Amino acid sequence: MEKHETELITFKVQRYDPEKDNEPHFREFTVPSSRGMTVLDGLIYIKENLDGSLAFRTSCRMAICGSCGMLINNYPHLACHTQIEEFRSNTLTIKPLPNLPIIKDLVVDLIPFFDTHKAIKPYILRHDAEEMENPTTEFAQSPQALETLLQFTYCVKCGICISACPTSASDKLFVGPQALAQCYRYCADTRDEGEQERFPIVDTDHGVWHCHLAGACSEACPKGLDPALAIQLLKRRVVSRAIRLGRKQQPSSKVPPPTQTKPKVPFPEFTVKGAK
Amino acid sequence: MKRIQPRQNYLGATGWLWAGNYKIERYLYILHRITGLGILLFLLLHLIMTTVFRIQGQDVWEATMRILHNPWFKIGEYLVAVAFVYHGLNGLRLIIQELGFALGRPTPPIYPYRDSLRKKRPWTMLIIAIIVILALVFFYDFIVGGW
Amino acid sequence: MRNTYLWFVQLVTGVLIAVLLSIHMVLMHLDAILGFFGINVNDPTSWHSMIQRSNQAIWASLYIALLVVVLYHALNGLRNIILELTPSVRTERIVTWAIIVFGIIVFVWSSYVPIALLYA
Repeated sequence: MEKHETELITFKVQRYDPEKDNEPHFREFTVPSSRGMTVLDGLIYIKENLDGSLAFRTSCRMAICGSCGMLINNYPHLACHTQIEEFRSNTLTIKPLPNLPIIKDLVVDLIPFFDTHKAIKPYILRHDAEEMENPTTEFAQSPQALETLLQFTYCVKCGICISACPTSASDKLFVGPQALAQCYRYCADTRDEGEQERFPIVDTDHGVWHCHLAGACSEACPKGLDPALAIQLLKRRVVSRAIRLGRKQQPSSKVPPPTQTKPKVPFPEFTVKGAK
Repeated sequence: MKRIQPRQNYLGATGWLWAGNYKIERYLYILHRITGLGILLFLLLHLIMTTVFRIQGQDVWEATMRILHNPWFKIGEYLVAVAFVYHGLNGLRLIIQELGFALGRPTPPIYPYRDSLRKKRPWTMLIIAIIVILALVFFYDFIVGGW
Repeated sequence: MRNTYLWFVQLVTGVLIAVLLSIHMVLMHLDAILGFFGINVNDPTSWHSMIQRSNQAIWASLYIALLVVVLYHALNGLRNIILELTPSVRTERIVTWAIIVFGIIVFVWSSYVPIALLYA
């Protein structure tokens, strides 16, 4: 496509209004699209000009909030992160993310997804409850220790990995790649001591052992998180605790708070003349 | 306003079988399941054959053997042999990777993202190449040789 | 914890099957393999070879070992596949017990023949 040339692209969007329809059906819209236009731009055009009742989630339009996950041409993408030109076709089929309940049109119910995430306790747990609530010291964590989990902290909770996973498709009780990756992120954190609290949730039939390394979650993840790697590392951790082999990780040491209250850097001079 | 129940949207078992645009590891997962179930069915038939037909004496056994040396059964035997080779070698790959060993370390994600399975894909393709070579050797052995 | 042990045994039996079943396949096709090199042996699936094997304890123990590992690996795998489709805990328990009972029946049925022929 030339820079200002517009082409007419057909958007086949799956519509479902729970008050009117029994079943989801497709409706076609024709959207003029130019180079650089994302699928989200197309959906906003439809909503503004063609059919104001089209429901979809969007917020940041720059692939950081994770709201706009949907199935575009049968592959899960973030709509704001996917350009129309990328598909090299005049028809785009847009459906809501599978394996999550549909509320209306392209909006899915993410509450079961968030509940599972909360169930694996995604926060630092320490044995000393008083210290956990009112910390008095800082923890020293080396860059090497951070490297083992930094990749898994970039999760935006978009739900795309759940849609891609073949086990999530059939197993309604499966914990899901996102929760398992976050469970590993907290278990691998040197500041955390709550491994044994999280294992009863993931070390079950419907937890980490229903992952069979299809790798679709890592492939579809829009932030490059690699949940498959986190899940296999979690399996290694669970097995090594169960058969009592393997090194325990070094807990992070505590750093006493700084004693001096004056900042080391002097306060900068005012640069605006006459200001106070 | 009454609360509307969200509509269930699970793909079900078709989510296992149909892999669309996903990469090779998802297809290897599908084949691993299919070969596993196929070998289980063969196992039950094989156990019936070697127990029920075996204790009934020489005549029944040799009649069964004559039926099974039919070329059409040879094709079935070949498929079971290939299924076993695939399931075994892919299983060895899964044992190593599912224990987290051959996948490399977590690295900060820098676009374009290459996940760990993609980085180790050359090893996966090596195992597939071994499976294909053995399948061709067995083809020569079972089908061309025994026809 | 229990599932971790079940899965770990699945791994171990997988490796054992890879070894034992390869031995079984090679031995059953020994006439074709050695015939390729020009050495002629009797067909291992003929009645005569089977009578010879049924009197030796090592063959019976090989078959029983192979039977145990294969039954565990296959039925645990089948259980995992079925458990992905069942939504309720009660159904899971029924399926697990059904598979255990099936496995025990098949084991007793199939191990009866080599042991009986050994002591016949």
